[in-house]
This record gives sequence, C-alpha cells and structure tokens, in this order.
Amino acid sequence: MIRIRRGHQVYQQVCASCHSMSLISFRDLVGVAYTEEETKTMAAEIEVVDGPNDEGEMFTRPGKLSDRFPQPYANEAAARFANGGAYPPDLSLITKARHNGQNYVFALLTGYHDPPAGVTIREGLHYNPYFPGGAIAMPKMLIDGALEYEDGTPATEAQMGKDVVTFLSWAAEPEMEERKLMGFKWIFLLSLALLQAAYYRRLRWSVLKSRRLVLDVVN
Amino acid sequence: MADEEPVDQKKLLESICQSNCAKPKNGYEECVKRISGDDTGTMHCTGQYFDYLACVDKCVAPKLFGKLK
Repeated sequence: MIRIRRGHQVYQQVCASCHSMSLISFRDLVGVAYTEEETKTMAAEIEVVDGPNDEGEMFTRPGKLSDRFPQPYANEAAARFANGGAYPPDLSLITKARHNGQNYVFALLTGYHDPPAGVTIREGLHYNPYFPGGAIAMPKMLIDGALEYEDGTPATEAQMGKDVVTFLSWAAEPEMEERKLMGFKWIFLLSLALLQAAYYRRLRWSVLKSRRLVLDVVN
Repeated sequence: MADEEPVDQKKLLESICQSNCAKPKNGYEECVKRISGDDTGTMHCTGQYFDYLACVDKCVAPKLFGKLK
C-alpha cells in the first residue's frame, strides 16, 4: 500500500507530464494509496472541463474524486507533436500490455546504458537495450534524488523504479490479490470435489465393470 | 540519509557483479577491437553487449529488491 502511494508520487511528479493514465480515477486511490481527504485535496488541485451549463457553455471547475486522472495532452496528435513524433503510451494497463510487463517496465526505466560499439542512435532518440530496436524516444527519467518521498525513503533510481512499477501493476490489475486468493480457494475446493466425483463414478460403475460375460453353447 | 546523496542500489550491485562477468566482458571488448578499424558503419557489437548485460542482470536481479524498501 505504501509502495503504491510512493509509486503514485513518482508517476505524478516524473511521468504525468507526458504519460496519461486515462482509465484511472482519483477515487480508485482512496483506501489504497491515500485517505479520502488527501485524495479530495489532490483532485481539487487540477482543473477539469465540465459542462455544458445552463447557458450552453463549457466551464472549468476544480477536480472531484470521480474525475479521471488528467491528461497531459489533448489528443494523440498533440502528444506526438510535443515528443518528436513519438506517442508516450497511456500507462493504465501498461504492465499487462507488455510481455512480462512488471519486469520489463522496471528494466526499461532503470536500464539506460551507453550504446555498444558500432551502434549510433540518431538525434532525439536514446539507447535502451530493453526497448525493442534499442532506440527509445523517452530520455532517462529516473534520476537519483529526482523527487523527495513524503515518507523520507531515499529516492534512488532503483527505489523509484520499484515503486512506480508497483503502482502501475496496481493500476492495471487492482483486483490481483483478491483474484489470486479466490483462485487458490476454488482450485483447492474443486480438487476435493474432483476426488469425490471420481470415487462416486467408480462406485456406481463398479457393478458393470465387475460383470463377467460368458460365451456358451446352446443345446 | 540527511545530507549525503543516497547511493543507487542497482548501480552498486552492477559494479559488484561485473567481476563475475569477465568472460562476456572480454568477448565484448574483443569485438570492439575487431570492429575498431571498420568504417562501413554496418558492424556492431550488440550481441556481445547483450551477453554481457544478461550476465550482469542475472547476477543483480535476485539481490536487488532485497535492498529496496
């Protein structure tokens, strides 16, 4: 829980300027990362376009719990224009949308290295061995001490990476823990039921399976 | 933690793990030497580089999260 809170801080301060998370609402954070009051205060800091009002005009108002996370760009074209043609993907489901998503995102964020000999990356792109093709438009964003955690945890690159991946995994699969608990419970119960059903089937069929058929002459 | 810069745990582990990965590192450095005279721009050492990084990652990965909060 505390890691999801720290991860949200990393997202908000480092990633939200380019990456939207348009499927997550502020109310999803309540009870998980923040209290209701904290979340309300956080939501109220952003301006949301609402409307139309009685005069038919759109108006802006402070955010509420029911609003989605704010989008950094109005649309994909604006995002591409501001980022040299590359679209910073929406992160709401990113850990599910990439193979081995949790490990992939962590490795990507913390894995910026110099390119190997013989590889040149064009201006505007950066080398990342974990990105397919090696040339990613996003520069290295997780720098030691880039932000100060509320709870005083040292904000090293690896720590921020772990927290933000925890947050993104939660955002993509908030039901994961409950789902897995249900899975354990029902797999266990159903295997007991399987044993019972197998026993009962063999019990009822034993009559037929223990028949003896005899071929005899007719006189 | 108060005044000094916190040391990044991953970089620390990577520098420790480099000593275990001398063989892929040599492979990479030999490749660099091999292509140093080349000007066609088509030769690169990505394969050996990935072998080296994979070795370091395999060493770092089990230990890293234990050091993080």
